[in-house]
Amino acid sequence: MVGAGLVLAGVALLVTALPAFAQEAAREPAYRNFPWIGSRLAVWAVAQLHLNFAAFILGVPIFAVIIEIIGWRTRDPRYDWLSHEFVKLTFAAFSTTALLGALLLFLFVGYYPKFWTYMTSIFFPTYWVYALLFFAETFTVYLWYYGWDWLSGSRKWIHVSLGVLSNLFGTAILFLANSWVTFMVSPAGVDESGALKGGVWAAINNYAWMPINIHRLIANIVFGGTIAAAYAAFRFLGARTDEERARYDWMGYIGNFVALSAFIVLPFAGYYLGREIYAFNQTMGITMMGGFMSWLWIIQAILIGVLFIGSNYYLWLGMERIPGSERYRKYVPPMLIILAIGFMVWATPRSMVVTLDEARAMGGTHHPILGFLGVMSAKNTAVNLMILTTFLSFVLYRRANRVSQKPWVKTGMAVQWAVIALAAVIVTFYGVYGYFVESLVRIGFSVYQVVAVLAAIVIVMAIDIPMFKGARSTGVIRWGTIAPRSQYVLIILAVTFTWLMGLMGFARSGIRQHWHVYGVLRDTSAEAVTPALGYAANVISVVTLVFFALVMFIFWLGGLSEKGKAGAHGHVAPAIAGGSEDHG
Amino acid sequence: MRLPVGVKVAIVAIVVMGSYSGYANYIPQIESKPPQELSLEGGNVTPAQLIKAGDEIYKTKGTCEICHKIGQKGTRAPDLAGVGARAAKAKPGMTAKAYLIESLINPNAVIVEGYPPIMPAVDKPPIALNRSEVWALTAFLQAQGGTVDVALNDIPATVGAGGGGGGAAAAAVTMPGDAKVGKTIYMGKGGCLACHKAKDIPGTPVGPDLSQIAKIQTPDYIMKKILDPKGMGTVAGFPPGVMPQTFGQTLTAKEYTDLVAFMLTLK
Ligand code: HEC
Ligand code: HEC
Repeated sequence: MVGAGLVLAGVALLVTALPAFAQEAAREPAYRNFPWIGSRLAVWAVAQLHLNFAAFILGVPIFAVIIEIIGWRTRDPRYDWLSHEFVKLTFAAFSTTALLGALLLFLFVGYYPKFWTYMTSIFFPTYWVYALLFFAETFTVYLWYYGWDWLSGSRKWIHVSLGVLSNLFGTAILFLANSWVTFMVSPAGVDESGALKGGVWAAINNYAWMPINIHRLIANIVFGGTIAAAYAAFRFLGARTDEERARYDWMGYIGNFVALSAFIVLPFAGYYLGREIYAFNQTMGITMMGGFMSWLWIIQAILIGVLFIGSNYYLWLGMERIPGSERYRKYVPPMLIILAIGFMVWATPRSMVVTLDEARAMGGTHHPILGFLGVMSAKNTAVNLMILTTFLSFVLYRRANRVSQKPWVKTGMAVQWAVIALAAVIVTFYGVYGYFVESLVRIGFSVYQVVAVLAAIVIVMAIDIPMFKGARSTGVIRWGTIAPRSQYVLIILAVTFTWLMGLMGFARSGIRQHWHVYGVLRDTSAEAVTPALGYAANVISVVTLVFFALVMFIFWLGGLSEKGKAGAHGHVAPAIAGGSEDHG
Repeated sequence: MRLPVGVKVAIVAIVVMGSYSGYANYIPQIESKPPQELSLEGGNVTPAQLIKAGDEIYKTKGTCEICHKIGQKGTRAPDLAGVGARAAKAKPGMTAKAYLIESLINPNAVIVEGYPPIMPAVDKPPIALNRSEVWALTAFLQAQGGTVDVALNDIPATVGAGGGGGGAAAAAVTMPGDAKVGKTIYMGKGGCLACHKAKDIPGTPVGPDLSQIAKIQTPDYIMKKILDPKGMGTVAGFPPGVMPQTFGQTLTAKEYTDLVAFMLTLK
């Protein structure tokens, strides 16, 4: 891990050297040309890779600490082992992240000097804070990881606090980096010439900042979860013993569970972001949703559909390893139908416009039939119903091998079903009603829909937990006996989510069109054209592939040190096969 | 034969991403190109040409069609059909052209009833039309049912000035010069090849290779660099003060524009 330290020192040096550098840069060319692939592609690829890694090292610790806390409170050693395992993965990816970050910085300084000078003129004070935070984060994660055994037993609370602290630092880093990125999209606090008007805070706190903070924070948890699940899947598929299979089956399940829980709220964060972008600039909002980018959201919808259906499918497959789940299999087909319909509605383009010429030929932006399903009202309804269905899958999974012993179980279940049904009715009602009201009112409706779904989730769980306390078991979960194709589902989920992140990165970046900083600093380079989706998708695919190859390599390296000394750091993997009735 | 797990997983990943990429390549491919600058100042344009230019701006650079549809009342913005005629009566004491110009550069002065105040000022970033373009656009709007009588001088001189702030150099400049002639100047009177290589024209490594100069530099920089090499700063790794400071005097205006036109082909 010396690499991270070195890179850090390098970054710190560079940061101190920057003012002088900036002056030099003022007389420098505005752009330089990166050999062979061009500067834009170079920056794009490195930025996306860096972001993937950063998301990983920020996302994984968040649920590692949650799992550690669960293990601490329940005294279940499995969780502690799993948490340690996850931090180990993070740890392995740390220096690569820092390295890519430094590389990205060099690319900016070297190939986009004018842009970088401008950004520095606004954000210079924050560079220092960033370097300090990075140091603090690295340091606490080191302590967290290496202090695992030392801070156990009665000192466990200190250890958990370290985990929480490192996550706080990580989140602060994320927020700071977000301020630069969002400033480029929705600059604030600068005058017409682009100079800072007051303090840097106004530039940090721009329109898109908070929404992106929230969006990325949640997405990082999802991302960390899917990657961890994919890792487990990979180990599962390569496992030689039943015990190993059981362990990694369970790990994959937990990773997926965390990912899914966070994923359910992600669309809401997305709406919030979209709304703020409209508030910042109508033209940008409309270009984003209906202009040259409209197809992007269709691809996004397809990916999200794959994620929803994949997660549900995984849960359904998982039910098969639970004795007693036969009772619930009849629910699978209707749930599948709801998901499929929701998916189709969501993937219906809002406007089938391809080019303005086509719109003119068609006499409007809305397709006569498809346009009807394409509007936001229908989409909101679809996604809310999909979320509700996914939640239902989870509830059924949870009770698959349990029979409640409470006398009020009949009433309890009736209330649960009623609540879910009511939420579905509310969602549908406002979805239909949305067609008859002004768009401004309609936006308000989506809030009711969301509240209905969230309320249903909370109420059902509030009943479910006591209802199944001390439940009679119809048999233990046969961890490790899940069908291997379920593990490929986990891998597909991870790949899809990573790809989706790349796509969203392109959306965020592409929406600026021919501006480095929207409306403030124009992109005058020869590569100012915002490429079409096909090209973007190819870049995203290649970079995602490189990312996974790197991750595999790093994990492989991380595994090397353990070969031959099972249970490094005294963390003996606990036995899981058939050992538990609990499903996390 | 049993494939190793790593290979199987890789195949799955590649197939999944390949299908996403495939789909993305299958749908219509739309690029978003940076807009071109239009300059009509000093030139003689007929009203018909002006309207045509305005029409073009309306559809492309102005991004007006995001909100407006001509001949179709949208929920987002008013129908602009007949706006040329309507404008004369829109605001008492204001001529049609004055009203239209105001609608463009100060859209919130009068809000058409029933619509939200979301219309952007067209001479400010991100649309950032220049004075000529606002002129052409006004003519185009007048042509929607009215008579075109707007002149360049009706557009306030402040329009489009200072837009784009930190470096809104023209995204694309079309030099009036002749690149072919420029090449002969590069090799002949200018003597640039004494110090620079440029694509197939050999040169010495005294100065930087200019083969891709138009790719890495803005037209603005190139134009200034030839006239005032020192003032534009020295390229890293090269000695300062070597590039002659005298081209501004030795080259004629025509030679200079031809030379620049040639330089802009080097990408
Ligand atoms: C973000 C959406 C949006 C964009 C982009 C936009 N407009 Fe508008 N425009 C509006 C709205 C809304 C109104 C009505 C409210 C008002 O008067 O400001 C309006 C009003 C107008 C009016 C006055 C109409 C009347 O009946 O009095 C004119 C003229 C006009 N726009 C022209 C243009 C042109 C030309 C462009 C392209 C450069 C353009 N608009 C771009 C939203 C937009
Ligand atoms: C006596 C040698 C010499 C001659 C003759 C000369 N240059 Fe240069 N040029 C240089 C040197 C040295 C540099 C790099 C140092 C600097 O930036 O001043 C340079 C830099 C440049 C640059 C900037 C390149 C970049 O990457 O930013 C341009 C453009 C340029 N020259 C164009 C020309 C043109 C056009 C001519 C002919 C009219 C010309 N030069 C003639 C020596 C020369």
